[in-house]
Order: sequence, then structure tokens, then C-alpha cells
Amino acid sequence: MPRISRNWLTLFAASALLFSACTSDDDDGSAADTAAAGDTAAPADTAPAGEEGGGAAGETLAAVQEADVVRCGTRDDLPGFATVDANGDHVGFDADFCRVIAAAVLGDATKVEFVDVATEDRFTALQSGEIDVLVRNTTWTATRDGTEGVTFLQPTFYDGQGMMVAADSGITDLAGLEGGVVCVAAGTTTEGNVATEFERLGLQVPEIQSFDDVNLLQQAFQEGRCDGWSSDRSQLTGLRSNYPDGPDALVILEGTFSKEPLAPGVRDGDSQWAQAVEWAVFATIQAEEFGITSENVDQEQESDNPSIRGFLGSEVEGDEGAAVLDPGLGLPTDFAFQVISQVGNYGEIYEEHITPLGLDRGTNALWTDGGLLYAPPYR
Amino acid sequence: MGIPFAPSPPGRVTRWVRRNLFRTPFDGVVTVVGGALALYVVYRLVRFVLVTGRWDVVRDNLKLFMVGRYPTVHLPRVSVSVIVAALAAGLVAGIVHRRQLAAGTSTVAHLSPAARVLDLVQRFWPVLLGAVLVLALTTTPGPTLTAVGALIAAVLGRVVGARLPKRSHWVVVLAAVATPFVLVGYLADALGWDGWGGMMLNIFLAVVSIILCFPLGVFMALGRRSHLPLIRWLCTGLIEVVRGAPLFVLLLMANVALGFFVPREWAPSDVMRAITVFTIFTGAYVAEIVRGGLQSLPRGQEEAGRALGLSPARVTFLIVLPQALRNVIPAQVGQFISLFKDTVLVGAAMGLFEVLRVATAVTTQGEFQGQNLLPETFGFVALLFWVGSYTMSQESQRIEHKLGVGER
Amino acid sequence: MRVLRWVFQIAVVGAVVGLLLVLIGNVRSNSSELGIPTGYDYLDNPAGFPIADSDFNQRQPVRDAIRIGVINTLRVSLIGIVLATVLGTLIGLARLSQNWLLRNAARVYVEVIRNIPLLLIVIFAYAGIALVLFPRITEPWEPLGIAIISNRGVVVPWHDASGWGIVAVGAVAGVVAWLVARLRRRHADRTGTPARSGLWGGVAFAVVAAAGWLLVGADVTLPELAGRGTTGGIRMSPEFFAILFALVVYTASHIAEIVRGSIQAVPRGQAEAASALALSGFQRSWFVVLPQAFRIAVPPLGNQYLNLTKNSTLGSAVSYFELAQVTSISVANGAPAVPSYLLTLLIFLAISLVLSLVVNVVNRRLALVER
Repeated sequence: MPRISRNWLTLFAASALLFSACTSDDDDGSAADTAAAGDTAAPADTAPAGEEGGGAAGETLAAVQEADVVRCGTRDDLPGFATVDANGDHVGFDADFCRVIAAAVLGDATKVEFVDVATEDRFTALQSGEIDVLVRNTTWTATRDGTEGVTFLQPTFYDGQGMMVAADSGITDLAGLEGGVVCVAAGTTTEGNVATEFERLGLQVPEIQSFDDVNLLQQAFQEGRCDGWSSDRSQLTGLRSNYPDGPDALVILEGTFSKEPLAPGVRDGDSQWAQAVEWAVFATIQAEEFGITSENVDQEQESDNPSIRGFLGSEVEGDEGAAVLDPGLGLPTDFAFQVISQVGNYGEIYEEHITPLGLDRGTNALWTDGGLLYAPPYR
Repeated sequence: MGIPFAPSPPGRVTRWVRRNLFRTPFDGVVTVVGGALALYVVYRLVRFVLVTGRWDVVRDNLKLFMVGRYPTVHLPRVSVSVIVAALAAGLVAGIVHRRQLAAGTSTVAHLSPAARVLDLVQRFWPVLLGAVLVLALTTTPGPTLTAVGALIAAVLGRVVGARLPKRSHWVVVLAAVATPFVLVGYLADALGWDGWGGMMLNIFLAVVSIILCFPLGVFMALGRRSHLPLIRWLCTGLIEVVRGAPLFVLLLMANVALGFFVPREWAPSDVMRAITVFTIFTGAYVAEIVRGGLQSLPRGQEEAGRALGLSPARVTFLIVLPQALRNVIPAQVGQFISLFKDTVLVGAAMGLFEVLRVATAVTTQGEFQGQNLLPETFGFVALLFWVGSYTMSQESQRIEHKLGVGER
Repeated sequence: MRVLRWVFQIAVVGAVVGLLLVLIGNVRSNSSELGIPTGYDYLDNPAGFPIADSDFNQRQPVRDAIRIGVINTLRVSLIGIVLATVLGTLIGLARLSQNWLLRNAARVYVEVIRNIPLLLIVIFAYAGIALVLFPRITEPWEPLGIAIISNRGVVVPWHDASGWGIVAVGAVAGVVAWLVARLRRRHADRTGTPARSGLWGGVAFAVVAAAGWLLVGADVTLPELAGRGTTGGIRMSPEFFAILFALVVYTASHIAEIVRGSIQAVPRGQAEAASALALSGFQRSWFVVLPQAFRIAVPPLGNQYLNLTKNSTLGSAVSYFELAQVTSISVANGAPAVPSYLLTLLIFLAISLVLSLVVNVVNRRLALVER
């Protein structure tokens, strides 16, 4: 009997804690009052930073420089974007953009701590400060921008969702999947997109089975647990090219049913850090536009073109004599040089990791080639 | 297991078979059907281990399984740590033996050296089996040298430990308790523990959490039995809340929500989060076990202590606790076994690269994917855990017998 | 001295409360800095994710998703408790069998299963058994033509129509069975004939249930293959199968030890006395030893049931949408982490509480019978 009443007490205490912790902010302190029985509620009220995000500006860049390492949220299971090789090193498109950021901010592309974050907790990892930047194949959407406390930057990859089926299944379009099962990765935008697309087409929505673990998803797909596998087309292409039964065993259906701009993300409220990361990405794009590669970057530093010289942090002749262009981003003036010499330009990164998957540049070509990649001028 | 099929007159065998396998007709049916089934299972198992199993997936990734992404150049550190740990264990075993001899409680004192070795083999055959199987999968001499070194160090420690003067015992015990911390520091010097993986991470999490949760549990148990009502309620509330929560949810929560509870600059790493959760969770269970031990102790012990004029603190720490803790050693071991097994949850909940995640991840490597090699990799991991847990539980039963728990 | 004690206590409690307030303050400041809500308004937002094996769609609110998560947790826990008890009891009895083979087979089972991590069994049950051993939907097993087994689930015939009719019939049948059993016991007390209340109650339950079911409509749907799926019947998804299988297999190994220990804890004299009264082997076990063993076993069994319920959260490792999985996916889809997980913890606390309440009640009733 005493045990029971004690349990009730526990539950009561826990619920009090729960609701005091979580009643919304507008009823200042009154909730804390009920939990703490009165006068000690003050600490709860003094703590919140009143101005939205005002206090946080500039913290991250300084913290990263002090720690001398960029904590980059990524993954280890997506061929082409981020996998781990036999030495335990992260390789791939996303992994290289982590290195780009480290090269720009710290001048050393190796100063990255790769933190593998799961799909479900990538935003919380960013929110809680576990990582400084998220480069993990993440789609920029309005809701995420709004509610996840994340600021998205220049997309590194313009993607769209597609559907993959087994070649011997006889399915040729989405209608063939009616009454079947579609597998998706849990906690992604793809989960909701499938149903939306089927409804848009007036088709019966198939059963949607989501998986936390891509490995488990692939196995389930292989064993016939599901008929369709829906994900970003780049992912599907990568998975298809690595499929154990050979790429020909799979077919990616025609049609893209969503826009998936994959963008790096940083915490809301720190525009200085956001600019630093964004310009690191721009540097790779601008370099490709200039034709600067990791091979020729040393020569280009001595280029006659003042734009290129300024971009690479060489001295530029100006009205008041030779000077190095410092746009005041908080980055070293030679950050672009470091990025290109240590990692490469956008095209090189793409060639190394994405082209082997069998994906051509498409929308990810430079604007000069009819693609979407466009960096603001560096001046 | 003492199967009496050994050289004995046929009459005894027949009698044994009749008594143990064909007592009644129903028994006979069970024996025949079950025997056939058991033979089939054993046959499939042996075939799997020796013939059909694709053990190359384990062999090629053995390093990932055991130490994760620990840098290859620093692997000697792991070897040194294993050997030092074996030495410490040997020393402590030697001291324990010496003390048991002195107290007359030793069960092996009357045995010949050969019989003692046999006794040790009987006790630790799973460890030997596991070691042999793991070594059979190695391709480099390092692990074998390590195993031999550890064996020599353990024997050496045992011999030296038994000859150490009694005065120095406390020094050795203190050193043995400090060993894990020193070794962790030594290993983390090459690769910070946030980068650890494989079985090394599981063992690290288990050992550190066990060491940390113990004092926490004892204090919570004392708090729950305190005469001060507010302290009692506080401890009771904490224990019950933690015990009512699933460990997996606590780990998930630590992964995504813990960061909100501390200023952002303090956000702990995943490994620290895991250790925190394991410590608090196991601490609550340890508290309940210790409380059981405290309750089982006759009141007279405390009263006698008081009557001698000892202060309440001295009564608690010198009289009550030592006896209570001694009585609950088996239950504690049981709790630690489940903690050890629960360390695999950090892979699924927090994405740490512990051994079970290694087992899933390697089946998707280029040359191994799509061939359903899960039985091989999971079988290997199951073996590792089984060896550890089974040995611990056997040892705890031994202690239980020695303490005479449950025979009162 | 008294004053000192109270000062000490208040200081400790004050420190704890202060710590909590600091933590709460941190949550609020961290959240507001990132523009993340700290209230429970998110429960009414659209969930944004579908839940397999249910008719939940992504436009329904988070609240509904959590409700489905709770139901799924309870479903796998309750079924798991029943099956684990049955399997565990059988293995526990086998551990005490006089048959050497059976005894040792049971021992090997217990010593192997309880010394390996549950999560390993869960994932293996899914990726190594449910997905691989079960055939594809294109070539399913159809035992007796009434069930369809494939790696998209096990489909068996089921009562068609809303669940409430069946629940009502079950409730009525249960009450009738209880009354009949009670009557039999009264009768036995008066006349001294064997009560056989279990038998009578069981028959009464079966009769009433069958009659009621016919009355409600007696609609049974048989599973049928339809394209890439099945229609009709009731389906157990492979994810559900995996977590249920693992929970039962694992918990049974612990229950077996409890059963064995409890039976061994019944004093030998009890069984000997029963033999002396010329009771048969069955009567000796069923009427003398087992009831006493059960009394000893109740508290640890209750603990195992609690563990099983909490362990059901591992279903999320194989994408079974129990409460933990729903929480983690909804957090991934924009629900705030701290309130979501606190709510989940609270729900689990409540479930544990109810379970331990039930165990306590059973325990107390058994203890009363003794007097």
C-alpha cells in the first residue's frame, strides 16, 4: 500500500515538472510558480534571452576558431555523399563540403570533426550545439526553416524526389504501385511527399513503411518487403549504382515529384557564422566559374585578372596602392585559396563523388552552363 | 557437465538412460523427438560455424568489431591496456587467494596444481573459447601476442599477488581500482573517446558506468532509508521515476533533448551523454538492490553499533553498509550484466559506432552486401556478449554459494 | 539537532529545486533563442509523417500519432506478456524435468538467450527471420488456404465489423464465466464435490462468447491476395512480428528462471505430503506445488512484465511504430524535443504505475488467501 501511494506521488511530481517545463512562454513564470511553490521562480525568468537570437551572434565563429575544429554533422551510410572508408575516414560530396568549411574558417581542411547524426536528430544536434554546421543531405523547406531553429544556406545540390523499383517487378509508373508498399527513410521530407504525389495524381496511396536505418531499408527492399523505394534521385542513383545485384536490377521511374534543394544548415540567430559557411560554399562555385582548380590555383594566385587575385586573397593594385581585399566576413582573406587548394572547386568535388554514381550535372551546372549554381560576386 | 557415458559397465549406462531418458512412454517420445530435433539443430549449427558460414565478413572487419576506428598505428596501446588489465586482475586474484587461505574459506586450497588449472578452465572456458575463436579470425600476429601476453601477465600477477606482504595489499587494490581510469586516459590519448567504437566502446561504457553508478546507488539507497522525510521523498521520487522509464527512451532523450537543459557551450558529447544516462539508470536499480540488502540486515547490527557509542555515520559506513553490500553482490552482478548488454542501445539511440552497429554496417560493404550475412556478424557479436555475461553470471553464482545467500 | 536536520533537508531540497529551475530556465532560453516552442500546442499540428500498418496519414495531428503509438506499445506489450508467460512457464517446467535431454535443452536455451542483448535479437528477428525466412508476397505460404504468410505480414481470418461488438461480447462472456465459476465454488463449499470452476467457467465463456458472436453477426473475412498486398483478415506486420518474437523469446528466458526458482522454493515437504495423501502427479503439481510457487513468483513476474513493456521501445529499431518511435519521428518532423520526450516519459511512467498497481493487487489477494 505505501508503495502505491509513493508511486502516485512520483507521478504527480513528474507531471508537475513536465508542465512547468513546458507551458508556453507567454504566461511568464506563473507555471514555474505552481511547480516550485512560490518565491524561487525568478531564475527561470531571468535566463531567456529576450531579443530573439540577439545574444548568440558571432559566438559560433569564435568558438570554432578557439576549438580549432569544425564540428560537422554528417552521416556514414550514403554512397557518393558521405560514407566511411576502410580507414574510418569520411568520404563523399557532403564530407568534402565539411572540409571546405574547415579550410575556409581554419585554413586547414583536416580540422573537421565528423559527427554522424541520425536523420531524426540532425536538427536537434544542431540546436543543442552538438555540431556547428549540418551538411547532411538535408532539404531546405519552409517548415524546417521556421520551426527547427535552423538557417539554411546556399544549396550544395539541387535534387528532386523519385521512385525506384525492381526491374523485374514490371512496374513502369507510379500507378503500378497502387496497393503495394513503398519504403522511405524515416524523418525525411520524402515520407510525406509520397502520399502527396499519389493523391495529386488521383491514385490510391500505397502503404508507406519508413525506416530509421538505410541499411535496413535496403535489405527490406531487396527481400521484397516493399515494391518501391522513394528518395532523392541522387540518393537513388547512388544506391542503384552500388546495388549488389547490379544497377540493371533496378529502375528509377520517370518523373520527379518534388524539389529537394540540399543545403547546409546552421543554427538560427548567428548571421556571422552563417555568412562564413555560405561564402565557403560560394567560393567553390566562384572558383569553377573562374576556372580555378586545385591544380592551377597556385598559378592563378599570380593571375593578371584583378577579380581572381582579389578572390584568392592576393594583393590587388588599387587607388591607394596594393592591398588585400577583405570583405569583412570574419574569414581569413585567403580563405578561397585554402578551399580550392586543399579541397577543390565545385566541379572537382562533383566529379570526384557524384559523377561516378552516374549523375550528370543537370540542374547542378553553373548558371553559365544553364544550371542553377550562381555565386554572388566577390568584391 | 559430467555426462556419465565415460568408461563404465554397460549396466550403468542402461540404467542411466532408462532413468533419465525413458522413464515413462511419454518421456520416451519426448526424448526421441526432442533428440532428433536437438541433433538437427546441433548439426546445422556446427555446419554453419565450420562450413556454410561466410566468416570472411568478420575476419576482414575484425578491427572494426573490436576497436572501431581506432587508429591502426596506435593499436599497441590497446594491447598494452589488455595486458595491464590482466596483470591487475591477476594481482587482485592472488591477494584474494591469500586472504581466503588465511581465513580458511578457500575452496581450492586442497587441490593439486593440475586440478586447480582444471578448475580455472571450468570456470573460464567461455572466455577461452571466445578468445580462441577471435584469434582464429585474426590475420596479424598482434592479437595473438596480446592474448599470450595477457595470459602471462595474469599468471605472473597471480603468483606475485599471493606472495605480497599483507601490508601492501591496500596499495595494490587501490592501484587496481585506478587502473581503468589510467588505461582510459592512455587509450584516449591516441583517439578521444568520442571517436571510439566497436567492442572497446561497449566495454568502456559499461566499466565507467559501473564504477560511477555504484556510489550513486549506495547514496540513493541510504537516502531512501533516511530518517529525514524530505530526503527520503526526494530519493524515492528519483529512483521510481528513473525505474519507470525505458532506458531506450532515456537515451533517445539524452541524444536530442539533453542539450536544451544546459547552456549551449556545455553541450556534452554523445559518449558523455550515454555515460550519464547509464550511470543514473543503473544507479537507481543499484539503489533498490542495496536497499534490499539494508533491509535484510538484522536491526541488532545497527543497535549493537550504537550501543558501542559509534556515531550514526560510523555505524552506517563501518557496520551496516559492508554487510549489506556483501549480501547483494550477486544481485549487483546481475544488474551489471544487464548494463553491459544494454550498451548496444547507444548505437540505435545515439548513432555511436558500437559493436552491434558495426555488425549491421559491415553487411552493407561492397563485397558483402545483399548476401544476408547478418547471421554471421550477429552471431559473432552474440558470442562476445555471451562470453562476458555468462562468465560474470557463473562467477556471481560462485560468490552466491560462498556467501551462502539463499541458504538461510 | 532537530532544527539542524530540517535546515539540512530544506537546503538539499532547495538545491534540487533550484537545479530544476535552472534546467527549466535553460530549456526556455535555449528554445526561445532558436524560436522553438516550449508548449504543447504542437500536439495539434499536422504530424507530417504517415504511420505504417494504420490508417494514419500525415495531415492528422501529432496527438493522433501519439495515441496510435500508445496503442501499439500496449498491444505488443500485452500480447508479449501473455506469450512470454506461457513460453517461460513451459521452459521453466522443462528445466525441472526428469528427462535429461529436455532439462538440458531448456538450460541451454535460458543460458544462451538471457546472456545476449535484446536489441540483437530484435534486429535479427526482423532482418534475419521475418524478412528472409518468410517468402515474398509473389509466392506466399498459404497453410490450409486460410492464412497468407509472406514477408509483408502474416494474415489470418478475422472477425469483420467494428471492434466494440466483440469487446462487448467478450465482456459479457467474462462476467458470465466469473458468475458460473463463483457458483461452482459455492456449490463445492457446500457439498464437498470438486469445484472444477475453471472448467465450468471456461465452458460458460465459450458458450456465451460463441452465442454472442453469432448474434453480433459472425462475419469472418478470409485473407485474399490482391495484387501486391492482401485484403481481408487481420494482418501482423513483419515489424510487429519481429519485436513480439524477440520480446517473448527474451523475456521467456527470464520467466523460466523465476518459475524454476519458485517451484524449487516450495518446501519439499509439501510435495511429499501430497504424495502421502495419494494424490496423482498432476494433482500434486496443480493443486499443491504450483499455487504456492505462483505466490512466490508474482513479484518477480511483475518486474519482468514491467521490463517487457519498457523493452517494447526497441521496436523502433525495426520501425515498429510504438510510442518511442512515434516520438522520435515526430521530433524529426518538427515537434519540439523536450516537451515530446517528457510527455513520452510521463506516459511510460503511467503505464508502469498501472502495471505495478495490478501486480500489487494480485499480490495482496494471494497473500490474503494464505490466512
